Amino acid sequence: MSILELCSIVFLVVGAIFFLAGTIGLLRFPDVYTRLHALAKVDNLGLGFTSIGLVFQAPELVIALKIILIWLLALVASSTLSFLIARRAMKRGIIPWRAKEHTI
Amino acid sequence: MISLLRTTLYRSMFFTAVWWILIEGKTDSWFVGLISISLALVTSFILLPPNQFRFSFTGFAHFLIYFFGLSLKGGIAVACMAIRPNPDLHPNIFTITPRLPEGLGRAILTNTLNLLPGTLSVDLTLSSLYIHVLDERQSIETEVRSIEEKIAHMLRLELKKS
Repeated sequence: MSILELCSIVFLVVGAIFFLAGTIGLLRFPDVYTRLHALAKVDNLGLGFTSIGLVFQAPELVIALKIILIWLLALVASSTLSFLIARRAMKRGIIPWRAKEHTI
Repeated sequence: MISLLRTTLYRSMFFTAVWWILIEGKTDSWFVGLISISLALVTSFILLPPNQFRFSFTGFAHFLIYFFGLSLKGGIAVACMAIRPNPDLHPNIFTITPRLPEGLGRAILTNTLNLLPGTLSVDLTLSSLYIHVLDERQSIETEVRSIEEKIAHMLRLELKKS
């Protein structure tokens, strides 16, 4: 196994762990705001590590650039979307969950 | 006039590069490409008229390094919260008065906070930015202020006194 393959596997595994943690957070966190935290953030890192892992396997430079570009476009879309969802939730009067009121 | 031409040139180069990467350097779909690039250019001029800011590449590099450092730190914290048997969440909403002038700088600040784990911008008004945090016991004021400084440096903007 070459160094590149090893790097690729390490990054892909770390990415998968972030995806798993993000999904668990999405299922476990109590309200729309905390779930957006879990989803947008952990998934972005997950996608980031997955992309870097795939870049190590890219046959050409342009393919590597394309993978990075997809990640960057996903970042922009994800941050804008989570802002829109959160602002809409606020406008509709969804009150953020507070630690003192409940326990999970 | 010269600066308008320069902005057009830079933006065309940017969109051409994006298109070139998207079609993986092939040359057989340049007709669609030219239409897409032109539409993107027109849209960019509508959404972001020229001459509003000057871009600093060293500032951009500093911003990126700082951003990825914070993302990693926060991402691990949020991932741990999700996995722990007791997530120990203490969410709350903070209000911050942005020092960046209105426009692109504030939009970048809002989006950056959304990508950084642990902070989520829920609303942006003329005077205030509302930030939802996962753990209210950690102050985010210093973090937000230092991101503001990085963005101001990147776009060569002046920060207002808070």
